[in-house]
Amino acid sequence: MVSDRDGRQAVIVGGNRTPFVKAGTTFAEASTQDLLTAALDGLVARFGLAGRTVDEVAAGAVLKHSRDFNLTREAVLGSALSPHTPAVDLQQACGTGLETVVYVANKIRLGQADTAIAGGVDSASDAPIVVTERLRRALLAARRARTPVQRAMAFVGLGPADLAPVPPAVAEARTGLSMGESQALTTTRWAITREAQDELALASHRNLAAAWDRGFFDDLVTPYLGVTRDGTLRPDTSAERLAALAPVFGRGPGATMTAGNSTPLTDGAALVLVAERSRAAELGWPALARVVDAQVAASDYVTGREDLLLAPVRALPVLLERTGLTLGDFDLVEVHEAFAATVLATLEGWRREGLGDLDRARLNVNGSSLAAGHPFAATGARIVASLAKMLAERGTGSLGLVSICAAGGQGVVAILEGM
Amino acid sequence: MHVDLPELPDVGLHVFGAALPRSRPSATAGLPDVEVSVHGVAQAPGRLAAYDRLCGFSLRDLVPPTWLHVLAFPLQTWLMARADFPFPRAGIRHVSNEMTLLHPVVVTDRVDISVHWAGVRPHRRGVVFDVVSEVSVEGQPVWRGLSTYLSPGGRVPGEPAAPLRLEIPDAAVSQQWRLPADLGRRYAAVSGDANPIHLHPLTARAFGLPRPIIHGMWTHARALAALGGVLPQRYGVRVQFAKPLMLPGRAGFAATSDAGGSRFAVLNPGGAPHLVGELRPL
Repeated sequence: MVSDRDGRQAVIVGGNRTPFVKAGTTFAEASTQDLLTAALDGLVARFGLAGRTVDEVAAGAVLKHSRDFNLTREAVLGSALSPHTPAVDLQQACGTGLETVVYVANKIRLGQADTAIAGGVDSASDAPIVVTERLRRALLAARRARTPVQRAMAFVGLGPADLAPVPPAVAEARTGLSMGESQALTTTRWAITREAQDELALASHRNLAAAWDRGFFDDLVTPYLGVTRDGTLRPDTSAERLAALAPVFGRGPGATMTAGNSTPLTDGAALVLVAERSRAAELGWPALARVVDAQVAASDYVTGREDLLLAPVRALPVLLERTGLTLGDFDLVEVHEAFAATVLATLEGWRREGLGDLDRARLNVNGSSLAAGHPFAATGARIVASLAKMLAERGTGSLGLVSICAAGGQGVVAILEGM
Repeated sequence: MHVDLPELPDVGLHVFGAALPRSRPSATAGLPDVEVSVHGVAQAPGRLAAYDRLCGFSLRDLVPPTWLHVLAFPLQTWLMARADFPFPRAGIRHVSNEMTLLHPVVVTDRVDISVHWAGVRPHRRGVVFDVVSEVSVEGQPVWRGLSTYLSPGGRVPGEPAAPLRLEIPDAAVSQQWRLPADLGRRYAAVSGDANPIHLHPLTARAFGLPRPIIHGMWTHARALAALGGVLPQRYGVRVQFAKPLMLPGRAGFAATSDAGGSRFAVLNPGGAPHLVGELRPL
């Protein structure tokens, strides 16, 4: 296990996020920066950070405009935090949010920071639209040109099709497959049934709805633009309704993945406040849970040998080996629901790695991405904030595991311990 | 007299009426005693988003105080479009503006807006008059604005008083703004203020301007946004509009801040002010 310098511990103080809504709906006019600033506003208000300097803010977005190269710093400057608060943009696809927590926790443990904010944002509504590669190269050549003739020549050979804008696609660069198409290959290979997927999706909606109803999110979510709850949550969905949906990924009679057991494109932002344990105490901040350790891994998915979204299957054995823990030691386990089938294949993968069967009563007990939605880079901080609060409720020493799969065949797992 | 309107009036229709010649009452007797109100106005998040984007604000639940001026503006126009308004609408200039955010307002608040005339005074180039706009939420006053306009050439009895002169902050320009040629049209679309002097070189020329000028209230809003995330929850801000800012154009922003608030100015490349302002937390 990683040892802390001078006994320094990084603790999760709390979190704040916007409600999550389906892309193209209520937050359609909000930019990625607006959403991140809104999440920051709520965190600043909740912990009295107005005018204060936080040692570092780390956040990221998967869908990002080139003008947003300093997205997080710009959000800080638009917030009530002191302008002396530095910020960094990090990105590891859907692993972004959790990786920012790991990054700031490591800095805190090393003594490079005492207070930090970590998280992420994504708006599929505000996705960049770019020009075609041929037009982009022609425009760059025209900029380099020294004469009008050279400038004109730069555009010779472009056809009408080169002038059309290119909308974003959530597809893997090397395989050309969308996330859902990639997962459909995994779903088939691991023989994940439609019933099991729908059952998991139903549990996600029921658990999230129950958590909202009992006020679990009252100190974790700040309303934005009139939205007070997650827009993708369907409290009244049922096994029958989910079973009636037509498959959207995969082909033929074996296709099992529907809009009900896959996450929708979502807009939202989430952040957590992290601090060195004694500093948090000095500031009168609660310490919900400490960040124990984390591990990232990657899978060999390009040639189809392994699965795009199952890198957590490789990451967790390494983490457990290092910490001396077993899967059965965790009171709560959060496995990001990119697709219901991803979670089920991950659990099966862990079983085959000899980690044992996970007690499903400990899995995503307050719902996860199938119900809440999945603004890619925001998901990590959503999960960490919720898990830290649940562990604090369970008491000192309770253990929580987070597992998040990411594009590019990557996966991050992390351990939190209740304070 | 008090007039309750069922909804905010459509300002666009009044713009065309402005150019029509007609007989007017004398201003000597002061401005008519009339107040106009609209209750329960829902704020449109989509329009707020466009306003925020254009003026440089982040889209957050807390709305900028200049946005509340935008909401009150149709009622100001409605008052000026009445037959008892003593000045010709064409040629009126916005010379200074004060507003006080008494309580934070969020986008989901339904607002009651009320506007009335406040006073008329002689000015060395004509007559200035004040209009007071008030916004409340569920009976609680949340915002108050005082807009001062100049009607050139008019006359009322008395000696011209010294106009508002705010001190330009003693600070170097810290921001450079580029204002595109269509900024006036874009601000007109989100604010509803479609005065032809802001829209196009041809329409501006018809009013004796070589090029369109940006709305003073855009410059005001942009300057507040330029102060960044440091704006207090409750504050008063007043601005004086100086030289018009021609489109397309460039302007510099300079500001100083201390515990007592901020002073700021929008300046042309020669250092002459387009707008000077000061902000004080309540």
